[in-house]
Amino acid sequence: MLRRLSFAQIYLLFGILLVAAVVASACVGAFTYTPHRIATLVGEALGWITAPPGDTLDRNVFLQLRLPRVVLAGVVGAVLGVSGTLMQGLFRNPIVEPGLVGTSSGAALGASFVFVFGSTAFTRPLGTLGVPLFAFAGAFAATMLVYRLSTSFGKVNVLTLLLAGIAVNAVCAAGTGFLSYIARDPQARNITFWNLGTFTTAEWRGVTLVSACFIACFLWSLRYGKALNALMLGEDEAAYLGIDPRRLVWQLLVVNTIMVAVATAMVGVIAFIGLVVPHLLRILRSSDYTFLLPGSAILGALLMELIDVVARVVIPPAELPIGIITALIGAPIFLSILLRQRGMHGTGVPGLDG
Amino acid sequence: MVEALEISYRAGGTRILDGVTARFRGNAFNVILGPNGAGKSTLLKIASGLLHPTSGEVRYDGRAIGNYDPEALAKMRGVLSQHVELAFPLPVEDVVLMGRYPHYGRAPSAHDRAIVAETLALVGMHEKRAQPYPTLSGGEQQKVQLARVLSQIWNDAEPRGPVCLFLDEPTSSLDIHYQLALLEIVRAFRERRCTIIAILHDLNVASRYGDAFFLLERGRLALETDSADAIPLDLIERVFQVRAERVPGTGTAAATWQFRL
Repeated sequence: MLRRLSFAQIYLLFGILLVAAVVASACVGAFTYTPHRIATLVGEALGWITAPPGDTLDRNVFLQLRLPRVVLAGVVGAVLGVSGTLMQGLFRNPIVEPGLVGTSSGAALGASFVFVFGSTAFTRPLGTLGVPLFAFAGAFAATMLVYRLSTSFGKVNVLTLLLAGIAVNAVCAAGTGFLSYIARDPQARNITFWNLGTFTTAEWRGVTLVSACFIACFLWSLRYGKALNALMLGEDEAAYLGIDPRRLVWQLLVVNTIMVAVATAMVGVIAFIGLVVPHLLRILRSSDYTFLLPGSAILGALLMELIDVVARVVIPPAELPIGIITALIGAPIFLSILLRQRGMHGTGVPGLDG
Repeated sequence: MVEALEISYRAGGTRILDGVTARFRGNAFNVILGPNGAGKSTLLKIASGLLHPTSGEVRYDGRAIGNYDPEALAKMRGVLSQHVELAFPLPVEDVVLMGRYPHYGRAPSAHDRAIVAETLALVGMHEKRAQPYPTLSGGEQQKVQLARVLSQIWNDAEPRGPVCLFLDEPTSSLDIHYQLALLEIVRAFRERRCTIIAILHDLNVASRYGDAFFLLERGRLALETDSADAIPLDLIERVFQVRAERVPGTGTAAATWQFRL
């Protein structure tokens, strides 16, 4: 039914749902707020309404805990959605997402390195940028490695891609595991918790950093819609259309890695969002990247808000790690795409058919 | 319009092309012939600008190919490969529209859409324009790719600029009907200032459609001729390692070759 809508109408539809999800997400939790109360608190914070004296607890909880968390969830969802779209375009395959190709686990390894050795002379000069910078380095190295391993003669081999992803992810996980083993207790618990993804640590400075990176990378990535479409035909065909595939690959890897690394440094590893979001958009409307890029930002944010609500209400007062929920939703979808690919070709091994 | 001058190409210590000079006939159907491993595909990739030769130069319209920026080059030469697969279910129309990418910025104009419709009609795929590309048969997919490449080099502005169409064994996976249909469509483009340069395997098909023939043997140009009848039998026997016979045509049928080991 969505197939009849124009791209703009779909953005609008998901946009309205996103606003509703943001409001819902702001309402629920240990403190419950009514939409009216939220409007008042936001109005006061912006100086539109004069704040009454006293009664500061619920206001502080909302402005310093709830609101940054809601914003962070939305932005991270958008980051992962767009990243999944970019990576699927780059690898020319719908099973790809930042968790599979090593971006997330590489970022996690880089970030945990700073968590554990953060107080040593090596990383201290970088200050608060240490975590995102090391996350970027790890994420970029891991993704580049998987891309190189799985690509030969301008074609991506699915089987090699899966195996390379498994191997690189395993090495990164081993590194992260080793770091948490040698770490002292509070750091170790941080790493473990953060490996499953969490928004509980949201604070405004981090939210600002992730948002700034996302907006810059997202606007930049919008230029690549046509090039990603052309890349579907293969690297040679894209080159015949006037696109330099090598430059495109590098630029996409950098843009993608910046936003995923910064987001991962903040909230940890959240798998499968990058897989599910473009997949839904392809089913609902189109595989055209000029549509998928904006669409995956909105749908990613929407999905993440909903998942964050579930994470908070399912076992109160405790919270479920985000990664557990996304894996529960994402893994079956991953398998179904993989099986369908196998059905489309004949040999039973997807990679052998390209 | 396309000249390959003194082209040599080495890869991994192996000499693949050795001083090949080929001046392709403008607005004509040029055929590159040769056995497997003779360097045909490499020559085509160099002439189309995908690969850079180790030495030598390719010129379009007398200008070195390196002096064109990639977009300008994309507007004047298209390449139809053997087979293009798509992992995503894009509709036929969107695939053909990719041919117009070098011509527009953010959104296609009505003119771009009209060209897409026209090339789809030309290859007989207009009825299937909304169908997902991966659901088509191999022959239909190749027709769609042809429509895409023709949209790319569509020169309907007056006066027409020269364009060039490269075909890399375009018919190798097609049945005889699709083979002939595709080559007929392509050949008609000679009238539109289009120079066609094709690698063909079937010598009889080649002699029927070709206006000029370039025979490659182990990285060197063994023969250049404008007539299929002028290709000496003993040269064919040597290059392709077969016994060949030229059967004269009877009535309306053209002369054909017959081969055995």
